[in-house]
Amino acid sequence: MTVPAPREGEQAAAMSLYGLVKRFDTKLAVSEVSLEVPAGSFYGLLGPNGAGKTTTLSMAVGLLRPDAGRAFLLGYDVWADPAAAKARLGVLPDGVRLFDRLTGPELLAYHGLLRGMDAATVDQRARELLDVLELGTANRTLVVDYSAGMRKKIGLACALLHAPRVLVLDEPFEAVDPVSAARIREILQRYVAGGGTVIFSSHVMEVVERLCSHVAIISDGVLRLHGTLASVRGERSLEDVFVQVVGGRTSTGSELAWL
Amino acid sequence: MALTATPRPPVSPWPFVKLKLRLIVGGLRGKPARIVLFVLGAVMAGFFAIGGYALFAVPGVVDDERAAGMLLQLGGAALVLGWVFFPLLFFGVDESIDPARFALLPLPRRTLIIGLFAAALAGLPALSTLAATAGMVSTAADLGGSGAAIAQLVGIVLGLLTCVAVSRAVTSAFATGLRSRRSRDLAVVLFAVVAALLGPLQLALLAGAERADWDAFAVLADVLGWTPLAAPWSVGLDVADGRLWAVPVKFLIVAGTLVGLLWWWSATLERAMLGAASTGTAGRGGDVGSPTGSLLGRRLPRTRFGALVAREIRYWWRENRRRAALITFTVAGFFLPLSISLSGGSAGPVATFIGLIAVIALANQFGYEGNAYAANMIAGVPGRVEIHSRVAAHAVFVIPLLLLIAVVAGLLGGRPENIPGDLGLMVATYGAGLGLVLPVSVRGAFALPESTSPFAMSSGGGMAKGLLTLGVMIGTLVATVPLQILAYLLGDVWLWIGLPVGAAFGCAAYLIGSGVAGDWLDRRMPELLAAVTPGR
Repeated sequence: MTVPAPREGEQAAAMSLYGLVKRFDTKLAVSEVSLEVPAGSFYGLLGPNGAGKTTTLSMAVGLLRPDAGRAFLLGYDVWADPAAAKARLGVLPDGVRLFDRLTGPELLAYHGLLRGMDAATVDQRARELLDVLELGTANRTLVVDYSAGMRKKIGLACALLHAPRVLVLDEPFEAVDPVSAARIREILQRYVAGGGTVIFSSHVMEVVERLCSHVAIISDGVLRLHGTLASVRGERSLEDVFVQVVGGRTSTGSELAWL
Repeated sequence: MALTATPRPPVSPWPFVKLKLRLIVGGLRGKPARIVLFVLGAVMAGFFAIGGYALFAVPGVVDDERAAGMLLQLGGAALVLGWVFFPLLFFGVDESIDPARFALLPLPRRTLIIGLFAAALAGLPALSTLAATAGMVSTAADLGGSGAAIAQLVGIVLGLLTCVAVSRAVTSAFATGLRSRRSRDLAVVLFAVVAALLGPLQLALLAGAERADWDAFAVLADVLGWTPLAAPWSVGLDVADGRLWAVPVKFLIVAGTLVGLLWWWSATLERAMLGAASTGTAGRGGDVGSPTGSLLGRRLPRTRFGALVAREIRYWWRENRRRAALITFTVAGFFLPLSISLSGGSAGPVATFIGLIAVIALANQFGYEGNAYAANMIAGVPGRVEIHSRVAAHAVFVIPLLLLIAVVAGLLGGRPENIPGDLGLMVATYGAGLGLVLPVSVRGAFALPESTSPFAMSSGGGMAKGLLTLGVMIGTLVATVPLQILAYLLGDVWLWIGLPVGAAFGCAAYLIGSGVAGDWLDRRMPELLAAVTPGR
């Protein structure tokens, strides 16, 4: 997997969010989130369930119209100039169906051609991805019949196929078995080393701590902390920082005594 | 935890009914569009109830026993058939109470069946049917006094139960049948058989109508009165006629039918609750060529448009709901004009209906695959490309069918010279229908539940689908009226110019509609995605 070298003049941050706001009915899902993701970073977006990670990322990649605020990818305004921004972007959304009545190879071919790639390149890369992710180059099973982990992997393959400059992955390691997770980590690390930028959300501390150069912690739709991993973590473990920032309840030992 | 023997809970359908009502209310909360649709649906149901009541009460008011016999029995039979076919064709079944969701609960099957049945009764269609058939009680009372009225009252309640039971059983069986891949192909054959059986019946009816032979109708009505279709609706009249012995027999017929239907339903439910576990039959076969080759086949261009069309074609064949829509169109498409042609009528006016039925499947085209559409948004597919590709894939199935229908109907009807003209009308209607349905599909998209049943509808969704469909049908009919008049006025000239004029009309309508739809789509992609995402 090769990543195109950064071109001249693309010094802008990989992703910049300015005051993103989203409200569902009466609930404020995301409140004034501003974030700068430096190009070439491995950025972890941490937060408990329902914190607004998916909502924020959806607004950043152009899937969900923000109520206020702006989002830029590599300097291109996602909502004003979507074509330029989306061409350089690969996305693995969470909770979004794939076109799952296609087989794995068909799905990859579909994504490649949708991105305007020529058929020969699509075939070559698709085979390589299917092979590396152990999905089987001749697998005739429809994606709808895949296991949850396989579905994550084929989704990741679709996001990687056109060699984007920025990868936005929502919960990429959820439901993936340890062997595949290691393979995915390796691919992503190589991708970042080659100059790509990965932004991913997770609530698994170990993964974030092991992979990320930068982290941001979000809870209740508000960005609580962000910066390099070292500056956020300080002397403590990331988990301690996270629990403290998010304000989780501490066990008193007397609950659920009947258990 | 101590293991105590819990007493067997009493069988009560109320929790299911409450759940259903709560789901309806919950589905409406904070969604003005849904509320509007619900109110519209309620108004339509009200019209149906009042109109039906008036219709069924008329024979009693004018004191015409023969008319009562025909109207109650034939009308009742039509109601039962309507309960079978309308969910299949137009509305879908409200599966907000999806049996599969109860699979893990320790419920005896009897409780489940009774509960689901009660929940199915708690809804606008059942209420309005009951209100409409109450007109029959009025007729029975006018003709035979209070005894007849009481018998008829029991009759219409039993009739309603029959309607609901047959509707649930048939759709459930159909959905379960379509679930495994192999049986879906069987379903196609079965459909053809059913259509072949319905054809002759329709012909007999038409022949009877042409000769205005009311006696034949009266006989048919009386015969139907001894079948489950019309037995519950005719008991009041039997009392009025003094045929008291017929009442218990008819009640027995209905009760037997109900038990049979419920048993059938519970058997298919069992299979439905086991879920789609058996569908993963496709294995790892040999390499059938490159990834792009397997997606596009030989002919389609290796471009974005080619990929979009190829995916849509795959989806029309591989997705249950879409396949059900295609099959419905195929059956209706052959069945309607053929029966008209064979009975000596002109297939022309019917031809417009065929083009119309074809586009209904597109009314909620974005709803079929849910938020998978996000992939196209992320890839930045422009609105017009999206729309054109979807129509191209639909036309791949529809245009050959239209051609075939026109040719077969023309040849069987003994009027081969009508083929081009009828085809022209069909293409014109198809184009006009597309022109209307495409913008509707962008603005009126709604989420379908992620169920494996092709007839599953979220609560309120069935109403939305029905209204959208109705609106598009009426609009298209209005739009093609000028062409119909032209075809009628021109007579033989239309035989020559029908095809080119119809095609031109259809193309123009399509271009306008697809342009509007494409521009709307460009502006509203995130809103569309939110609309088709289930559970928002």
